[in-house]
Amino acid sequence: MTRVFGDPVDVWVSDGRPVRFVWRGRLYSVRRVLEHWVTTRDWWREREPDGEATGEREFWRVEATPDREIGVYELRYDVAADSWLLSRVWD
Amino acid sequence: MHIHVASSYSLRFGVAPPAALAERAASLGMETLALTDRDGLYGAVRHVRSCADAGIGAVVGADLKVASTGEERIVVLAEGRAGWRSLCRLVTAAHAAGQRGNPLVTREMVGAHAEGLIVLLGPASDVGRAITGRRPDVAAARLDAWRATAETAVEIVDHRDRGDGPRAARMLALARAAGVPAVLGNAVRYLDPADQPVAQVLDVTRRLVPLDRRHLDDRTGHAYLKPVHEMRRVAELSCGPDEAEALLAATRRLSERCVLDAAHDLGMDGVHLPVVDGDPYARLVSRCADGMARRGLDGSRRAADRLGDELGVIARKGLAPYFLTVADAAALIRSRGIRCAIRGSGAGSLVNHLIGIGDLDPLRHGLLMERFLADSREGLPDIDLDVESARRLEAYEALFERFGAESTACVSMMETYRARSALRDVGNAVGLPPHEIDAIAKAFPQIRASQIRAALDDLPELRQSNLAAGRLEVVFRIAERLDGLPRHIAMHPCGVLLSNPTLRDRTPVEQAAVGFPMSQFDKEDVEAMGLLKLDVLGVRMQSAMAHAVAEVARVTGEEIALEDVPRDDPATYALVRTSRTLGCFQIESPGQRELIGRLQPRDLDDLVVDISLFRPGPVNSDMVSPFLESRAGTREPAYPHPDLEPVLRESLGVVVFHEQVLRVFDVMTGCGLSRAEAARRSLNHERGQAVVGAWFRERALARGYDEPTVERVWKVLTAFGAFGFCKAHAASFALPTYQSAWLKRHHTAAFYAGVLTHDPGMYPKRVILDDARHFGVPILPLDVNRSAADWHAEPVSAGGPTGIRVALSEVKGISDAEVGKIVNERPYASLTDFWRRARVSRPTAERLVLAGAFDTVYDGVPRRDLLCRVGSLDRVTARPGRVMEGQLPLGHEDGDDALFPVGGRPPTPPGSLRSPPWSGMEIEMAEEIPAGELPPMTPAEVVEAELDILGMDVSRHVMTFYAGLLTGLGVVRAADLPGRPDKSEVLVAGVKVATQTPAVRSGRRVIFATLDDATGPVDLTFFESVQDRCAATVFGSWLLLARGRLRRAGAHAVSITANACWDLNVLHEEWRRGGTDAVRAAMAGRTDPMRGGGPPGSATGRPVGRRIVHPTGFAISPYSDIGHAGPAVKRPPKTPLWYTSRGSSGPAP
Repeated sequence: MTRVFGDPVDVWVSDGRPVRFVWRGRLYSVRRVLEHWVTTRDWWREREPDGEATGEREFWRVEATPDREIGVYELRYDVAADSWLLSRVWD
Repeated sequence: MHIHVASSYSLRFGVAPPAALAERAASLGMETLALTDRDGLYGAVRHVRSCADAGIGAVVGADLKVASTGEERIVVLAEGRAGWRSLCRLVTAAHAAGQRGNPLVTREMVGAHAEGLIVLLGPASDVGRAITGRRPDVAAARLDAWRATAETAVEIVDHRDRGDGPRAARMLALARAAGVPAVLGNAVRYLDPADQPVAQVLDVTRRLVPLDRRHLDDRTGHAYLKPVHEMRRVAELSCGPDEAEALLAATRRLSERCVLDAAHDLGMDGVHLPVVDGDPYARLVSRCADGMARRGLDGSRRAADRLGDELGVIARKGLAPYFLTVADAAALIRSRGIRCAIRGSGAGSLVNHLIGIGDLDPLRHGLLMERFLADSREGLPDIDLDVESARRLEAYEALFERFGAESTACVSMMETYRARSALRDVGNAVGLPPHEIDAIAKAFPQIRASQIRAALDDLPELRQSNLAAGRLEVVFRIAERLDGLPRHIAMHPCGVLLSNPTLRDRTPVEQAAVGFPMSQFDKEDVEAMGLLKLDVLGVRMQSAMAHAVAEVARVTGEEIALEDVPRDDPATYALVRTSRTLGCFQIESPGQRELIGRLQPRDLDDLVVDISLFRPGPVNSDMVSPFLESRAGTREPAYPHPDLEPVLRESLGVVVFHEQVLRVFDVMTGCGLSRAEAARRSLNHERGQAVVGAWFRERALARGYDEPTVERVWKVLTAFGAFGFCKAHAASFALPTYQSAWLKRHHTAAFYAGVLTHDPGMYPKRVILDDARHFGVPILPLDVNRSAADWHAEPVSAGGPTGIRVALSEVKGISDAEVGKIVNERPYASLTDFWRRARVSRPTAERLVLAGAFDTVYDGVPRRDLLCRVGSLDRVTARPGRVMEGQLPLGHEDGDDALFPVGGRPPTPPGSLRSPPWSGMEIEMAEEIPAGELPPMTPAEVVEAELDILGMDVSRHVMTFYAGLLTGLGVVRAADLPGRPDKSEVLVAGVKVATQTPAVRSGRRVIFATLDDATGPVDLTFFESVQDRCAATVFGSWLLLARGRLRRAGAHAVSITANACWDLNVLHEEWRRGGTDAVRAAMAGRTDPMRGGGPPGSATGRPVGRRIVHPTGFAISPYSDIGHAGPAVKRPPKTPLWYTSRGSSGPAP
């Protein structure tokens, strides 16, 4: 089943890709990148839109594992804020 | 390197202009750049020239929609001359195949033009769609089909949206498996990621939807002109490092192959003139010889020398076919009975005069050829022809017929985003309500979009509008970024390409809205492409004069040939000197009327000077006053040097004409007129000015002129700068100016009929109508039995004065077909008779009644009664399938039942489409209306109806109804102003008929407004110091009262320097409530600040915007010469004219 989170995570990046992350105190190793894409903000929906294109978001859907059990995790990187979130989990 | 790039010439899609893309590509170290705009080659010529400037190779292609169920697209690139030809022809075919505005290609069409084309199949192609849909088998089959059609490559694009990466990998795999080359593209739409919001707004604008993620083509911001290393990085992510390198190499190879040579491939190195039989030069020489005899010049040594010079240049440039072609075209247009006059520098050429293109003798008027044609001028000379505006398209048809549809095309032009259009589109994109968008857009003057926020701060009329509130900030910001983007292709108002049957190999052609084939290139492009563009400009005044001449012939039988009218008629110049020149060509504006008043023209040369003086250049270098003083004899003409006296004598020491600049250069440097013309053109820009300045000083000093003289002359030349006027142009304007004044003087009624029919001038028609009244021309009201489609001259009685009859086409909403039927079925004995035979729509019939068109049919029956009769006729004769255009149900109106004294209400409700029997009995029943049941319309209501229906006050002047108020306040009438002392303070009032903000010497924004108060025009000037409190009122009100100081300008003309103004209707309301005292109180300041003017001195004026200073030192306001904010002046507003008219008898007359 899918679960949606918005938890901040610490991510190690190597060669432009996430390779490990820590979520709720556990270390996850990325086995495989399933999908990777970017989006930009819907600036027109903001309260005070400025019409400037900032804040690209990168999405990484990866297979990762804390131990032997493999799950699918979606990591979101906010370029402007330089911060990572765990946005969804399939397990 | 980039092979798939859309510029801003991909309408409502691309963001960056071609030049910016080329510069960026060069700065990124790319050696080539493709332009593949959507649906056309609109930007191709600019792209090729920009790439040449940037030092990179230009590749050209097009991104074309493929006929399919979805939105499928391919890119085709052109290789070499054959490729360019195929591309032009394929784009032309695409536009011919689709509906207008929706060009389409099929695989077969591409196959038919495959020579030199390379098809790129990217994600948007049918192959890409199949890959996205996980149907590699279908994709492979489609790819095979394309390969059988034309040279094909697969284009890998990855914008890093969801699914882009895997799709890229699968497309590459397909290409590899099929053995088709694969290249890397980025489907570029803009320069930088920061431009994405603009692209998003264009996406939703193109689709007419509000901003929402699902309507966007661009969700990632990656469609920018990426540097090579970023392209490699993207390819590495999806296809792996080795493949990335291979893709880049293949892309480079393809780009290099497709670089076009501007000269060889596009034919920019030559001119592509129509084919002329025989030896063109010999034919031209012989026609000139004939012309010398016909124009009576064959004995003239001067003419022979001049002809020799001109023919020499023409021979050296190989332009004989050009002159023969234009002469042919002009003769052709005239042979259709269309008035045709030369305009512009071409009038300076004796050859043009001799072969019948121009009517002015350049030698007699001191016009030079070099301004038009010289060895130093590059490209084709420009000959412009003025024809009757109403028959311009007829002239085009003649040209297409004569030169062949394959060899002829109209020139296009791009309409670009300006403030109002940008605000509308962005407003819609962000989902503002339509009425709000309309109000915002109209609040702005017609400025550039990039000026929006500056204008909000600069302009007092906008500062008071509360638009600057933060909510709209994002709309303004994005609207500014749309500035200058092309949004619509239109037919250029005058350019026609005349070429040979290779034309369609050189330019893509689509159909213009009016049906003519139209090149996708604009006037600069066609010049670069070596195509001959003839400007055939529709001039309303030519139509007006043709109409006047026809009216004279119709009414009196007298045939006038305007060209043969003597050009020294004293009565005509006497009229011009009175400044009562409304309706005349070129000299009706307030500024011109003032200048004429001071200049007092006595002959055609004076008119030439007058037209040339009324320009920013002469105004800037302060030559108007010295010239006028010298002319009046109050000042000795001063010449910078005695040698220049022959050159400047005609303008009393002042440099007025381009031609004089040439001669000054020639006299002081001995450089010859051709070199002088090159020097004159260099004065236009700063760099050129410096070069020419050094050259001029050196040569003039070497020829013995002393330094102060040289500096003095140089100062005059630079001040004159690029803003002067070509004398040949002024002279070709002066002729119709004189002709129109001559008609006004000698055939006054016919003149007004012409001017009112074709509306050539700057004023609303009601002003012309009032001018006619002042000239004693009776205004004959609309009459269903007498009015024609156009305005007619009509003798009031045998031997009496000739009046003008209001035209049927002035009736709001009337169709040409209705006008035709009304005229054909005349005369009418009754309204019923009219209803039965003319068969016009009910709104048209009602408007005719209200405007008084039946007053002579029914003497004494009030119009309201007649109006009811229209309603009942409509009900009893309701026709099946009739369009109920704008019809209001009238069934519940008071007194309606009275119309049916016998049978009561008819069975069919109004508006029903059911058809009752069309029976004579019911019509008779409708006819039985007792007259006089309803009160007659008051004069005020009559005028209000006239303004609403005809747009002009016919029966009497609007201001009549304000007489009481104006007398109470002591308002001075226009006719009495000349009798008032200079500098006295006066109140004036009237209908606003014009507002202008022309470029003036100070570089400030000056608002000129003209009021019409029934006794003549009142010209007002509002300087920046009073605009804080006056601008909103001036632009927003139709009826104005103003206070100001009287200023004399010459013997007859006066103008008012205004210091306060009010909406006359607001004051009128006060007057009705509390009499003159209440009005005075309101004017003293106790009034709504948004509508009234407030007391003088209550606000300190601040500068309106920053001045723009040109290299010549000439300063202009950023808000000069633009359409003002608020409603247009040409037609009265829809709101009630006086507050009291609703349901009452209106203001007391």
